[in-house]
Amino acid sequence: MAHPSQLGFQDAASPVMEELLHFHDHALMIVFLISTLVLYIIVAMVSTKLTNKYILDSQEIEIIWTVLPAVILILIALPSLRILYLMDEINDPHLTIKAMGHQWYWSYEYTDYEDLGFDSYMIPTQDLAPGQFRLLEADHRMVVPVESPIRILISAEDVLHSWAVPALGIKMDAVPGRLNQTAFITSRPGVFYGQCSEICGANHSFMPIVVEAVPLEHFESWSSLMLEDASL
Amino acid sequence: MLAARALRLVGRRAISTSVCVRGGHGVAKVDDYALPIRYVQDLSSEQKSLKEKEKGSWATLSNEEKIALYRISFNQSFAEMNQGSAQWKSVVAGMFFFFGLTGLVVLWQRKFVYGPVPHTFEKEWKEKELQRMLDMRVNPVEGFSSQWDYENKQWKK
Repeated sequence: MAHPSQLGFQDAASPVMEELLHFHDHALMIVFLISTLVLYIIVAMVSTKLTNKYILDSQEIEIIWTVLPAVILILIALPSLRILYLMDEINDPHLTIKAMGHQWYWSYEYTDYEDLGFDSYMIPTQDLAPGQFRLLEADHRMVVPVESPIRILISAEDVLHSWAVPALGIKMDAVPGRLNQTAFITSRPGVFYGQCSEICGANHSFMPIVVEAVPLEHFESWSSLMLEDASL
Repeated sequence: MLAARALRLVGRRAISTSVCVRGGHGVAKVDDYALPIRYVQDLSSEQKSLKEKEKGSWATLSNEEKIALYRISFNQSFAEMNQGSAQWKSVVAGMFFFFGLTGLVVLWQRKFVYGPVPHTFEKEWKEKELQRMLDMRVNPVEGFSSQWDYENKQWKK
């Protein structure tokens, strides 16, 4: 999760997010360079007493300020496309989870081996235990084994939602009648929070996503426990 | 370089056009200039006699006459043209005034319009939240938890 007044990205919890962080640094540096140059030129233009009204043409600088932006764009596009293709690589997932968006909660289905499904509602503010995070905690977390490739199929049962977890670098729209697939690997254990990212009605701000990455044994005992609870 | 050319005076009106100005390696039409403001004016009899005197040697002109001749042709001297105004003071004053006014509106809103913040903003709750974030190792790489010294239980210097 973000700490209060955090401006930058959260630390990456997946390799894709790491790549996105580095690409953002690269692109932002280019943006800063261009902005500094433009600001300098503006200040120089505005603060001079000299006038020049008789320039007719200037082939050299026209060539420079056409070619240089093209080069800059290529320098941005190449790393960007690299990450795009990286995200689409075959990754042979260990587990497939379905995340279904409802008004106004998420439901998760783990149906690879057994029939496990449960709803994940936000914990209301008045029911929080001391120290829990307002508007972020959910009663049932989506637990995944750490360092395993996970495939997640996202859809919705009523209106558009969007399943987003910033620390994993994932955002995928939940479209009714459509299955959207994405995949991730958590590089480290932990709890990663996200919020619904497509306006879906009155409680759109109150249907958070909580992903908990745990070692495989813990995942196995958790799923057995959830199955028992469901069968009660 | 005046590129507007007066063709003739018709009834005390000057008719002008723009002229192609050769610019070295290209040609430009410089038509963003009208004729000078005082191209056609009615001169008083002293000014007319001064203009006649101007046709002779300029050494015979006194300083006041030279200034009078300048004023016939030009509206302002360079010093008058370049002097600034005091307008910026009113602008800055108005700016600060509206900042202050906005500040008053915001303070009034906070006191009389907004309800109380949620109970999760209490000091004890925030302390528990902070401890929980550290226990959960939130952002441990370069962010939040990376700044905490877990051995000595304090923030890193």
